[in-house]
Amino acid sequence: MANAESKSSLIMLGQSASQASSHSLEDATPSCWSCGTMRAVHFCSSCGKVQPPVPVDYFTFFGFPRKLNLDTAALEKEFYALSRKLHPDVFGQAEEQERSWSLEQSSMLNDAYRTLKDPIKRTEYLLRLEGIELEEQSKQATEKARSTGELKKQVVPPDLLEEVFELNMHLEELRAQKKVGEDDPALLEEIGRAKLPLEEKHDALLNELKSEWNEWDELVDASAEAGANGERRKILDKMVDVLNRRNYIRNLVRDVNEAMEN
Amino acid sequence: MSYSDKVIDHYNNPRNVGSMDKKDSDVGTGLVGAPECGDVMKLQIKVNPQTNVIEDAKFKTFGCGSAIASSSLATEWVKGKTIDEALAIKNTEIVKELALPPVKIHCSVLAEDAIRAAIGDWKKKQESAKPLEVQAAQ
Repeated sequence: MANAESKSSLIMLGQSASQASSHSLEDATPSCWSCGTMRAVHFCSSCGKVQPPVPVDYFTFFGFPRKLNLDTAALEKEFYALSRKLHPDVFGQAEEQERSWSLEQSSMLNDAYRTLKDPIKRTEYLLRLEGIELEEQSKQATEKARSTGELKKQVVPPDLLEEVFELNMHLEELRAQKKVGEDDPALLEEIGRAKLPLEEKHDALLNELKSEWNEWDELVDASAEAGANGERRKILDKMVDVLNRRNYIRNLVRDVNEAMEN
Repeated sequence: MSYSDKVIDHYNNPRNVGSMDKKDSDVGTGLVGAPECGDVMKLQIKVNPQTNVIEDAKFKTFGCGSAIASSSLATEWVKGKTIDEALAIKNTEIVKELALPPVKIHCSVLAEDAIRAAIGDWKKKQESAKPLEVQAAQ
């Protein structure tokens, strides 16, 4: 399953990234294996030799600050430039070790690019870098509810869950009807009526997310330590909240569109 | 990732799918969700107010096979149990029974949440019903 795969690789990178997070790039990057001078992430800035990958986060890998408003055109340009330089063909005549480093760097380059170019993946990645583990939080809340007897607070509002549940019931009914070749125009119309408001809701959530991005980036701009006293966490938690609601709405938009097309 | 035989069995033959009247004072309804994957799960219980035994349970889940299997198993397990016994069910027991892989543990967490939410809803109804009984007795 592609989803599970990408999750585990991100967790792996998240771990190595958090190890590197307290270090600057200079700390994480040893000197060039070939000429001994200070190297850059991918190639030595002095002798130009490819370097073994270092455990830096994807933002650092591309030389970007850990900000969420990202110049995707610059990202793409950098990605293609590095892709060309790291391409296995370039290392056809190189030593075995350099070939394998270039392969490792290429694969990290691809992961980093795919993660950063997508606004949602980028946000989720930053949350992981900042140590926010959604599943772990949920599990702990359940364990707490078990030991205290108090009710676990659902992370999304109850009326959203109701809405999701109801619409799913309609969609299931529609699918069942189609299977036996029936068609209920009233049901189709009802589902169709949900389409536009859902898409609007989805857009509104993306806008909400972007305003959290701006708040985050302002903190990063202010200084590395800015917002250490809970302000950072508050913004990150708000992003989690938006992403949680968006997951449901995104699924509904997808399922409604699917139902309308068929 | 492949599903275990038990997950596949619950997925193909889910037990206790359906719904009960959520306005019934003996019925408790839990509606919970796992935002990571967008799954929603509704679990309902019908409790005998004299014995506190869960006499019936129904569920409806929109989600992956593991989420459906977890909630199907949860309804099987709570049936015949008292409220307190049902509250003791742990998600890890569901993980073990269904042999869920680590990436699907959140499905079992969701099922435990659903049981607790349904019982919580039922308890709330009992409490708000009490004053009426007292009034009726007077």
